[in-house]
Amino acid sequence: MVTPKIRLETTSREPALENFIEWSDSLAGHARELWKHRELLWLLTQREIKVRYKQSALGVAWAVLQPLSLMIVFTVFFSWFARIESDGIPYPLFSYAALLPWTFFSTSLSSAVPSLIANSHIITKIYFPREVIPLAAVLAAFLDFLIAAAVFVLLIVVYRVPPSWNLLYALPLVAIQILFTAGISLLLSAFTVLYRDVRHTLPLLIQIWMFVTPILYPASVVPQRWRAWYFSLNPMAAIIDGYRRAILQQQPPQLSYLLLAAVVSCLLVWAGYKYFKHLEREFADIV
Amino acid sequence: MKIITLDNISKRYRLSQLGARSFREDFARLFARNDSGGTDEFFALRNVSLEIEAGEAVGFIGPNGSGKSTLLKLLARIIYPTHGKVAVRGSVASLIEVGAGFHPELSGRENIFLYGSIMGMRQADVRAKFDRIVEFAEIERFIDTPVKRYSSGMYVRLGFAVAAHINPHVLLVDEVLAVGDASFQSKCLQRIEELRRNGMTIVFVSHDMTAVERLCQHVFFLQNGQVKAEGPTSEIIHQYYEAIGLDAEVAR
Repeated sequence: MVTPKIRLETTSREPALENFIEWSDSLAGHARELWKHRELLWLLTQREIKVRYKQSALGVAWAVLQPLSLMIVFTVFFSWFARIESDGIPYPLFSYAALLPWTFFSTSLSSAVPSLIANSHIITKIYFPREVIPLAAVLAAFLDFLIAAAVFVLLIVVYRVPPSWNLLYALPLVAIQILFTAGISLLLSAFTVLYRDVRHTLPLLIQIWMFVTPILYPASVVPQRWRAWYFSLNPMAAIIDGYRRAILQQQPPQLSYLLLAAVVSCLLVWAGYKYFKHLEREFADIV
Repeated sequence: MKIITLDNISKRYRLSQLGARSFREDFARLFARNDSGGTDEFFALRNVSLEIEAGEAVGFIGPNGSGKSTLLKLLARIIYPTHGKVAVRGSVASLIEVGAGFHPELSGRENIFLYGSIMGMRQADVRAKFDRIVEFAEIERFIDTPVKRYSSGMYVRLGFAVAAHINPHVLLVDEVLAVGDASFQSKCLQRIEELRRNGMTIVFVSHDMTAVERLCQHVFFLQNGQVKAEGPTSEIIHQYYEAIGLDAEVAR
């Protein structure tokens, strides 16, 4: 039998050596690979959204309905009946300003954390950087957040909230929140592959987290001597309080707590990504 | 040029760890620390070293559980070796399970783009090859139907059509031709041969010796996670039949 040995046409176009086991463990290398798969990240995000809305009559309106319905229930029970204070801000506006980013956070976690298990059929069959799966879940939740933000703009106009330059703080706030959410999603989604327990404790975790974050009450109800702990231990508290100050109260956020939240978020992304990539090699074996 | 090099590869599975764990089990394991590692372990591959030339079509044969699929998954980067080194010069696409990346709710069209992207294709590339993919899959009429309404034949045809139009340096094919009817099977084989003629390296795993003989120049015979023999196709197939106690003439 004639066996032509070398059939690659041009030696100049010799492909680079890919070495799996000594595959660079640097985060920069991982990030470069993620960047190469950015189209896949976007397609998986689209898939998440399309599938979620394809067979529901309300379609994209679901994105708005979740924070909106909670806002109405909160307004009736906590403002009208229980008379919870809201720093002088109309309660619907007050609660929606917090429910909007909170929904982004909780939707991200509840879809990202079990996402690797839900996609086990792909993970065991095809290689691609696995972090695109939880990150697509976060990105899809972010698109929902943008849609629901349209209602917030409407509320701001209806309640005649005066504009101010402090509104610009919303941008770094969103950026910090995305980092924080992505970091936790990477960490917990990888952890869930090893320990299925996480999936069952997640709804409880999200619920408790919601009550320790200033969503249905103002942060000012927390006693002064605990406030430093309150904001330091829970970056979501600093972020959500920041949104309220910047958008509704024409003030800057509490910058020291916000800076701390930013540092914690960056550390979380770093640690979460590192942990994720470390466990990734085992995913196909155990998922 | 050696395009694939396996250097002393072993892949170990711990039988008790095959599922995901729970805190309680791990806690229990922590205290009952007598894991001598004896019967609990299973080596799907043990000290395998081999090389594959660029542009060659190589077959892996062997009985069930001999490690063929594990080897293919290692090459595809789906799993990682416990010991040893895998090196592949160039891009790899795997046909380990055709259509594994499909989402049932999405249409054929949407799935072509998604699956292509999962397999590492650029979107512009998929767009350019879209018509050819649809034509190859023979599903023109159903391209905008959700794939959950597809017959299993259509599903496989679409999956193979996308995979057959990626342009990797190495194509890994695992038993995918067992599905689909005879005419589609031969169409797939034809396509793989065409890719090989264009210089692509093909790694083929199959129990279908006729297909192996038709496609491969060089064959590895695996048994119990080790390479038992390698060489020219017909010779190794003959050895394989002898080893499993089958008369080669009767098998044909």
